[in-house]
Amino acid sequence: MGTENPGRPGFPARPASSPFAAAPQTATPFSSTGAVAGSDPPPFRPTAMPPPPQAPSPFSSSGPPVRPGVPGFRPAPTGTFNDPSLPPPQPPIANAPPAAGTFQRFPPPPFSSSAQAPLQQRAPFVGQPSIQQSASQPPSFPEPPQPQTPFVQMGPPPQSTSPAPMGSNVPTPTYQPSFPGYARMQQPPPVHSSFPPNQGNYGPPPAAASSPFLPHQGGYAPSPAMAAPLGMQPPGSGPPIGGIQGLTEDFNSLTVQTRPGTMDPLFDAKELPRPLDGDVEPKNLDDMYPMNCHPRYLRLTTSAVPSSQSLASRWHLPLGAVVCPLAEPPEGEELSVVSFAPASVVRCRRCRTYVNPYMTFTEAGRKFRCNVCTLLNDVPSEYYAQLDATGKRVDLDQRPELTKGTVEFVAPAEYMVRPPMPPVYFFLIDVSISAVRSGMIQIVAETIKSCLDELPGFPRTQIGFATFDSTIHFYNMKSSLTQPQMLVVSDLDDVFVPLPDDLLVNLSESRSVVESFLDNLPSMFQDNVNVESAFGPALKAVFMVMSQLGGKLLIFQNTLPSLGVGRLKLRGDDSRVYGTDKEHVLRLPEDPFYKQMAAEFSKFQISTNVYAFSDKYTDIASLGTLAKYTAGQVYYYPAFQSAIHGEKLRHELRRDLTRETAWEAVMRIRCAKGVRFTTYHGNFMLRSTDLLALPAVDCDKAFAMQLSLEETLLTTQTMYFQVALLYTASCGERRIRVHTMAVPVVTDLGEMYRLADTGAVVSLFSRLAIEKTLSQKLEDARSTVQLRIVKALKEYRNLYAVQHRLANRMIYPESLKFLMLYGLALCRSMALRGGFGDVPLDERCAAGHTMMVLPIKRLLKLLYPSLIRLDEYLLKVDLKSIERRLPLTMESLDSRGLYIYDDGFRFILWFGKGASPEIAKNLLGEDFAAELSKAALSEHDNEMSRGLVRVLEKFRNSDRAYYQLCYLVRQGEQPREGFLLLTNLVEDQMGGNNGYSDWMLQISRQVQQ
Amino acid sequence: MGWQLLFWLLVCFPLNIAFFASSFYQVLILSDLEDDYMNPFDASSRINYFVVPEFIGQGLLCALCLLTGHWIMFLLTLPLACYHANLFMKRQHLLDVTEVFRVLKAEKKFRIIKLAFYLTVLIITIFRLVLLLVYYFDLEDE
Repeated sequence: MGTENPGRPGFPARPASSPFAAAPQTATPFSSTGAVAGSDPPPFRPTAMPPPPQAPSPFSSSGPPVRPGVPGFRPAPTGTFNDPSLPPPQPPIANAPPAAGTFQRFPPPPFSSSAQAPLQQRAPFVGQPSIQQSASQPPSFPEPPQPQTPFVQMGPPPQSTSPAPMGSNVPTPTYQPSFPGYARMQQPPPVHSSFPPNQGNYGPPPAAASSPFLPHQGGYAPSPAMAAPLGMQPPGSGPPIGGIQGLTEDFNSLTVQTRPGTMDPLFDAKELPRPLDGDVEPKNLDDMYPMNCHPRYLRLTTSAVPSSQSLASRWHLPLGAVVCPLAEPPEGEELSVVSFAPASVVRCRRCRTYVNPYMTFTEAGRKFRCNVCTLLNDVPSEYYAQLDATGKRVDLDQRPELTKGTVEFVAPAEYMVRPPMPPVYFFLIDVSISAVRSGMIQIVAETIKSCLDELPGFPRTQIGFATFDSTIHFYNMKSSLTQPQMLVVSDLDDVFVPLPDDLLVNLSESRSVVESFLDNLPSMFQDNVNVESAFGPALKAVFMVMSQLGGKLLIFQNTLPSLGVGRLKLRGDDSRVYGTDKEHVLRLPEDPFYKQMAAEFSKFQISTNVYAFSDKYTDIASLGTLAKYTAGQVYYYPAFQSAIHGEKLRHELRRDLTRETAWEAVMRIRCAKGVRFTTYHGNFMLRSTDLLALPAVDCDKAFAMQLSLEETLLTTQTMYFQVALLYTASCGERRIRVHTMAVPVVTDLGEMYRLADTGAVVSLFSRLAIEKTLSQKLEDARSTVQLRIVKALKEYRNLYAVQHRLANRMIYPESLKFLMLYGLALCRSMALRGGFGDVPLDERCAAGHTMMVLPIKRLLKLLYPSLIRLDEYLLKVDLKSIERRLPLTMESLDSRGLYIYDDGFRFILWFGKGASPEIAKNLLGEDFAAELSKAALSEHDNEMSRGLVRVLEKFRNSDRAYYQLCYLVRQGEQPREGFLLLTNLVEDQMGGNNGYSDWMLQISRQVQQ
Repeated sequence: MGWQLLFWLLVCFPLNIAFFASSFYQVLILSDLEDDYMNPFDASSRINYFVVPEFIGQGLLCALCLLTGHWIMFLLTLPLACYHANLFMKRQHLLDVTEVFRVLKAEKKFRIIKLAFYLTVLIITIFRLVLLLVYYFDLEDE
């Protein structure tokens, strides 16, 4: 449906100079006044800045002169990435004079020919008002990794601000916002370089600043990036310091120690980095490109595009993006909906990029230059507005599409190939004996009935039902009837639809019939003893009903399909297949019927969600295919029992039915010439090489894609990405949601590492690994993950191996410090873990399908769940303890405690052996001593129980996509404790799996080879 | 020796022309698909329509060459016939519409190679045919 791009995008050659390229390439904006202020993105990467010979340093002049020829101090190499953290120029704050003024106040320095000159010429940087601004708003992200920062050798300040003892190499933690050059010193510059860094202790926190020379075994620097300003001397420690600036270390490192008494190397488990804060969204481009879309919509694996193919080939991690186009904005934040009516949507006529904040208007507002292809377009007359003196449109503040990275456009008729469809929900429900026994039908009927008022799109919403066992039953719900009419199709070889319409009816018209059907449904089949399942024929029949409109098909499936087309066999119970070349076949659909159906569904805008409930094998691998190609989702409730899992099903079905859904959608991600998205990973079907067909998509689905460089060398300074999702909103309006993001193009590998985003890397990694399990052995998929991490770290090590002594140390970039742990967690996740005996085949496939759609945040939580101690909170000993996540290791569990393990899909409450019986009694009631597998958690009439319920509620509300059932387990209760909790403690060694420190050791060994 | 001529004229030549044409058509469709002139549903159904007949015909021709004692032709076409049989056994002979873009490059390359192969065989066929015809006309002239 709807080609999102009526005209084919052509990417013509891009002129070498982009509108923004000019500014950064000259040195003038930096060294003069705040001339760069304006709407332009802040200057970036002024690598070409020629060192003005003998540039007077504005700050070094008034104080004692700097000693020339500072040892250990090297001029910044050209071509380095220069201070990308530079925030956009802001008006100077009151007590900080602009750089120009500084020049006037300070006469040229007497030692203008000193070796400092090349560096001092960069000092005006510091004089920029923007930097002063950053004094009050500390940069939220690491400094560039170059040890040679531009902020070297600030001149001495007014004498009164000299806090550090002269000659002391210990930097002072004092921080003076009013002193321009010192703005960045949020943290004291750490260890002086003349003292070789000891055992990985770099960048000590401010408190430790006084003892930076103490060898601190393996001290792990929490924010070594802050060490970057090392080269800068504290003001006042000015001249005689000997200028031994030097090598800072811009990476994190871990030191290999030896096990006491033996020669075995090991890492200190306490120092290993752990993502105890969960997912951290990258903020490092906020200052540079404030008009970018929020990272919840679009995240790149590294927010820096390599400028050449050779550079890209040295980046061994995936290079790509993770898009969640409909991510839920936090409450109170609304997206702006822009309508261009009566005109059409404003786009570049060549590359079809939608109008966005980075487009520049010229020629008195009559033309605009496309930021992606630099073509000069005419502004449509309806969209014309004058420019003011600074070159901005006068109506800028009324135009959200020119100020925000995320907007929605109302699409005119040319973006439709048919009238916008109404929301359609069709339910295909298994009514065979096992479905009846499990109680699934009852809960589904109740939940659907309770959601009828909340289905999106009233009053256009359409709804229909079909049930199946060995025959297929349709229901005539014509609004004039009082009771639904059941129509049975028993010819499975040649299915037909018994009634041309009225099987899919308008909900508001037939409301009473639908309600009476849902009331009767459970009782209608309560005595059914049919054990067969004609799933395939039912699917075909439903397809015939739905193909007119498309919509959402929800399948509730309890029995392995056994009749007609698409029958499936029991498989996966042969352990001998594992480890052979035939292993992956188990994870592929057995019958091509399912793939064909999925393709047909996608073609006719039908999205399929599969709810599977069986306690036996149901071949999720085959059924999941239906969801995989139709942007659907797989929900798997193994051995469903309504008493236990009912609540979970109720919540998740409700969420599925009521969340805002985008219908008949297509999505495309555009980028400038020279870069191309090549592979896509997630649940969708490709309509053309770069167009994702998404029959129905919602906020809980994310898509990943990898990009590759087509040209050997990119000449632009900035790369733009634009995600456009064309969809029909439930209200019946055709809309285009556009997310725009600008990122720098870099020439330096270190910079790519610095701007890397662990979350996006892990998300792509996991999707690639899961896809790999579909064509290869699990073992291979796991070793690929490890290999890629090793390659990346090896490349990173090579960057620094020359300058630093790295023996016995493992180094990694600050931005990727959790990558190794997530890699381990991925290998130990349900989808990739172990072999035959470790995870049942269906659960493995369901986990794989789930991980393919999860947004980054949820995926990271699933990989490294939170473990929190509860008893201290409940007993009110330590109210803060509830916010403290613990490392996922046995050692975190105190046998006197009560812990909760939360992976976003379930809660596991762990009762320590030595926990006071009172806790158990309060929480579980009288049967606290009984076996916990049978105990259920319910609210009891005491403060502690209510507290626990409140806590669980709070955790559940933090992410509503899935409902977390609470499992209780007592310490030592085997094997339940084992499979519920112990295998999931990813840092511990378990069976054939590595523990965290072993894993790190393995990686570090391979890196050093 | 009439059967020789019949074999080359009525079996080999038309079959090879057909293979060549079908390969060419498939490459064309894949290029269209790549350039977004065709949707994957149409493209894969059109290509898949030709796959099995081509496999059967190619295998048949290979067998006929063996039976009629055309050893060189047999040995020339045998590898492809084996490859086809292998694909068929692994059920990978048809284009999968859901994953077509993932395999597009490889499939196109495979079909271009096949196209070149069929062209070679076709040239050999025409050459043999002309030789035979010349031989026969010579015979009649005498």
